[in-house]
Amino acid sequence: MVNYAILTWLVPYIGAVLALVFSKLERVRDVIAALALFISALLSTIVLQEVISSSEGVIHVSYPWISTFGVTFGVYVDSLAAFMAFIVAWLSFLIGVYSLKYMEGDPGLTRYWFFFDFFVGSMLLLVLADNLILMFMGWEGTGLASYALIGHWYTDKDEKCVGDVGRKALGVPMWFSPSHSGLRAIVFTRLGDVGFIAAIGAIYYFTGTLSIPALAENVAGWAGPLAKAGVLFPFLLVFSLGAMAKSAQFPFHEWLVTAMTGPTPVSALIHAATMVKAGVYFLLRFSPIFMLAAHSVPGAAPQVHAYFSAIALIGGFTAFFMATQALVARELKLILAFSTASQLGYMFLALGSAGLIAEFPMGFLAGFSHLMSHAIFKASLFLAAGAIIHAVESKYIDDMGGLSSFMKATFLAMSIAALSLAGVPPLMGFWSKDTIIEVAKESEMFLPFFFGVVTAALTAFYSTRMVVRTFLYEKSHNVEHLEKEHELHEAHPLMLVPYLVLALISLIGGLVWPIYGPELLSEMVKSVLGIEEVFHPEIHLDIGLLATSLVMVFLGIGIAWILYQTGSGRSAVISITENPVGKALYNFLYDRWYLNSIYYIVIVGGFAALSRGIFKYFDSLIVDGFYHKFIPWITERFSTLGFKYFETEVIDDTYHDRVVRMFKAFGSAVRKVQTGLVNQYLVMFFLGLMLILLYLLWVG
Amino acid sequence: MILDYPYMFLSVVVPMVISLVFPFVDMDKKAFATISTVLLLIPLAIVSWLSIIGGLNEPILDPIFFRDPSVGTFSMLLDSISAPLAISIGLVTSMISWYSLRYMEHRFEEMEEEGHKPPGWGVYYMLYILFSAAMMGTVLSTNLIEFYIFLEISLLPSFLLIAFYGYGKRERIALLYLIWTHVGALAFLVGSLVLGLNVGTFDYFNPVRAVANLGLGEQLPASIITPVFIAILIGLFVKMAVFGVHIWLPYAHAEAPTPVSALLSPNLIGIAAYAMIRIAYVLFPSEFESLAPYMLGLALLTIIYGGLMALAQDDFKRFLAYSSVSQMGYLLMGIASVTAIGMAGAILHYAAHAVGKALLFATAGVLITQLHGLRSIGKMGGLAPKMPITASLALIGFMHITGIPPSLGLWSEVLILAGVSNFAVAINQFFWVVLFLLVGIGLSTAYSFITMRRIFFGHPSEAAGEAKEAGITLLGPMIIIAAVGLLLFLVPQLLVDPMIRALESLLG
Repeated sequence: MVNYAILTWLVPYIGAVLALVFSKLERVRDVIAALALFISALLSTIVLQEVISSSEGVIHVSYPWISTFGVTFGVYVDSLAAFMAFIVAWLSFLIGVYSLKYMEGDPGLTRYWFFFDFFVGSMLLLVLADNLILMFMGWEGTGLASYALIGHWYTDKDEKCVGDVGRKALGVPMWFSPSHSGLRAIVFTRLGDVGFIAAIGAIYYFTGTLSIPALAENVAGWAGPLAKAGVLFPFLLVFSLGAMAKSAQFPFHEWLVTAMTGPTPVSALIHAATMVKAGVYFLLRFSPIFMLAAHSVPGAAPQVHAYFSAIALIGGFTAFFMATQALVARELKLILAFSTASQLGYMFLALGSAGLIAEFPMGFLAGFSHLMSHAIFKASLFLAAGAIIHAVESKYIDDMGGLSSFMKATFLAMSIAALSLAGVPPLMGFWSKDTIIEVAKESEMFLPFFFGVVTAALTAFYSTRMVVRTFLYEKSHNVEHLEKEHELHEAHPLMLVPYLVLALISLIGGLVWPIYGPELLSEMVKSVLGIEEVFHPEIHLDIGLLATSLVMVFLGIGIAWILYQTGSGRSAVISITENPVGKALYNFLYDRWYLNSIYYIVIVGGFAALSRGIFKYFDSLIVDGFYHKFIPWITERFSTLGFKYFETEVIDDTYHDRVVRMFKAFGSAVRKVQTGLVNQYLVMFFLGLMLILLYLLWVG
Repeated sequence: MILDYPYMFLSVVVPMVISLVFPFVDMDKKAFATISTVLLLIPLAIVSWLSIIGGLNEPILDPIFFRDPSVGTFSMLLDSISAPLAISIGLVTSMISWYSLRYMEHRFEEMEEEGHKPPGWGVYYMLYILFSAAMMGTVLSTNLIEFYIFLEISLLPSFLLIAFYGYGKRERIALLYLIWTHVGALAFLVGSLVLGLNVGTFDYFNPVRAVANLGLGEQLPASIITPVFIAILIGLFVKMAVFGVHIWLPYAHAEAPTPVSALLSPNLIGIAAYAMIRIAYVLFPSEFESLAPYMLGLALLTIIYGGLMALAQDDFKRFLAYSSVSQMGYLLMGIASVTAIGMAGAILHYAAHAVGKALLFATAGVLITQLHGLRSIGKMGGLAPKMPITASLALIGFMHITGIPPSLGLWSEVLILAGVSNFAVAINQFFWVVLFLLVGIGLSTAYSFITMRRIFFGHPSEAAGEAKEAGITLLGPMIIIAAVGLLLFLVPQLLVDPMIRALESLLG
């Protein structure tokens, strides 16, 4: 029987190949590529249904691939993988439909569709894989597609850049062309992947298997020796390095910001809804197993605890740190990019806290449900942003304003999605984020919790600012100009429908959450690998905490509203940014805490200087000089000196004569060699060879 | 399995012998190219066929074709360890032979414009075939002397190819290449002679019993075991161009005519890595294991150093040459892990690097022919819109050397790193090794994709103005090489499974 789960990830790959095959028949190519996504989405639905309805709740099929190395060609679908694949596949399809219109007429469309479908296949592969290498393969595949699609417009025209052309911070340029951004993405993420694959190697060393379920079954096999040696904590960090880089956690966050050079559907799919979630998925997949280690391996608990604390701290800090940068961003897509990294930080915070609280599944579900709700509303926001940028022909919110009357449906969709992002009840984002803040509080780590709460206000602020500056506010000159030309109109239905649908899901999902939420959550956690206890999720609201978080949210919304939607607020904004302290703070946030500049000065500059310096002074001067100047020179010196020495001072004449002749011959041979006559080298070479052969014959 | 006739030996020697008449016949260059490609497809066909029928599950041997009481026996061996090399050599040499036609046409014109009159097509293809077939012979050898003779035969023509058709100060560089490789070869030969004369045979593989002569070198008197082992190791290190003795490689590989660079860089130097397993480990297993941690250090140093130097280059071919230094570090790293998976990864990476580096040198050749000899990366840029196929092939090349799916390089990288992790955990150095790997692999990724960007992406450079895609004569062979690399990605088990089994039994 054909396995649907395998087909789920295989079909998009086939679509990618077919897109290449039909590159000349443009319409056929586009439809086939989108159709493959649709089939994959249907298959993922069947798989999800199978997993929910089956008694053990897991589909595990595996065929040997490299049997001597334990690599199998197979899938392991528990409730985690099934839900994840379902979300990924349907989002991919919706965004694929959007692309049909958005990318119409692009000269690189074959390449676009190839990498788009290749990405979807790889993403589903990493979700569904039953062993670590297969997962790693999907993981790397998403990286390649991300690289190619970020740099889709690789001719690097100024209008395709991210950042303000000409702006510098600490002397480092702060605008990034598509090809530069693609390069940054692949280098940053592959750094993390080194840790991932090295850890996989170590696990293989201890257990002799690469199977993901076996990792849980035989947790003592690999965690035991590491815990005993006291290195389980750093080991888990090394293992998670790939996840941190992929999910743009501090200090690997920079690549995601500039990834916005990619076409907007790509930003929506890869750099908001799916690939950047791979790191969170990694934690969802493996943190239950780490918990098993804490419970069942002697001595592991404190080290696992330290690991989860570190994850919570990294996540909390990233959430806060990236949100501050979203406050001042002027590019619509950049606001969303900062926001994405910040929200990913929330998910890390959830999973880090999960390991520190009594009920691990609660934290697990907080992270997982936020992953889902964020995927939906952020995809909607990005797609809407694409339509807006398309309409106003500018990436800057300064060139927008007052668009609500021209793009009513887009305004509706973006407002709903933004409110969900801001965490306003009863939207989906509210429920999932609030649970995160709750588990963060329960973890009893002050700093991550504090970051979580403050970020709630920041998120509400920048979400409101974004919607106000785009749709309300006053019309910018650009908008007035376009209005005169009658160029402003609602997006094409192929584009509008996907993001409107997603926004509505976010709304309706939130409305019914109190009724169906617990049931959905219990299905999501039902058969997750490594979670053995039965968990009954319920929605309980901690009133004090709820009040705190709502105060934060409305504070953020209120301040943003006053600052950007009222006349006095606007003049306040101007006076703040003109004040020296205000200006310095603005620049600090706008230039991303100067971290990008520091990376370029220290790391890029450091390696460049090291590379040039070593090449010039060591490789060329010392190594090359030693072998190719010093040795020939010293040989020649010896030959001349020796000649003199023998001739003038030592030993008797007859003996003398023979040696001199020998040296003379040697000298002239050397000189002849230097004349560069190829024939003579040949003769010499043959003579050498003959000597060796003669020697061999003699020996024989 | 012992064959009835020495098919492998004949497939190596027959093309060589035929090629010797090339300089004396008057033929069209196309005829030379066709005959040469066909002649080089013979050994590829033979080794592929033998690999398929036996599934590489047991060693396949030629009947012994030379026997001497003190030298031992000469046979040829195709097993799971030598097959990936033999297939890569067969593939790259035959495809580049086709590629040579258009490239050398350009080179001849260029040299004539400069007022030189290099030896003609017959000589070129004779030397090319001698070089290619000798490499095949080296890899299939079973005896130190046999290995050495084939190695010598490969060195002479490659030296002449550089001297006749190379760039820059080609005669000086050819001589430099010759001397350096002989320094290496001499160390290797001295070690081999001392060993063979003392233990009474030069066979590292016993073709009668079809097993490796494991530990043969350790039968030497205790006092000379280490010196002999070190001599052989030094010889191989020079050949591999590891850090410290790498300096000849950038000269030779950058200034050789590009088709020859495409053979030198991935095919020839990697043979030393193969010999590390097939000869150095087999003869001196316990010495090898005791030096392994130091070799791992040397490998990491070579990876990082080669990567740093590659970053500093502006000449595309010199950049590729330094990248080869770094890549040899990966091979050495897999071997130094002394694990079956790590060593299998190294052998597989020979194949991945052969595909990748052949593609990249061929790309350099395409740029040279299409852009009037342009080699300076700084003057390129924005070529992808004009040369999309070349850009795709170069990307596939870089994917092979950085280990990105769907390329064969993914498997070799995974296997090498898994092997190295195993070894690092076993010697308690896991975190240090990870740290150096972060730098090393980070550098490899950075130099690859930085160069990809500098050549193909960004604003169109002046050179991009009149650039256009090369024809099938250059791109055809490249496409075939790339396709093999991508197809092998899907079926790595055909090579890897028998190889890991063989290495497991070798390592005990």
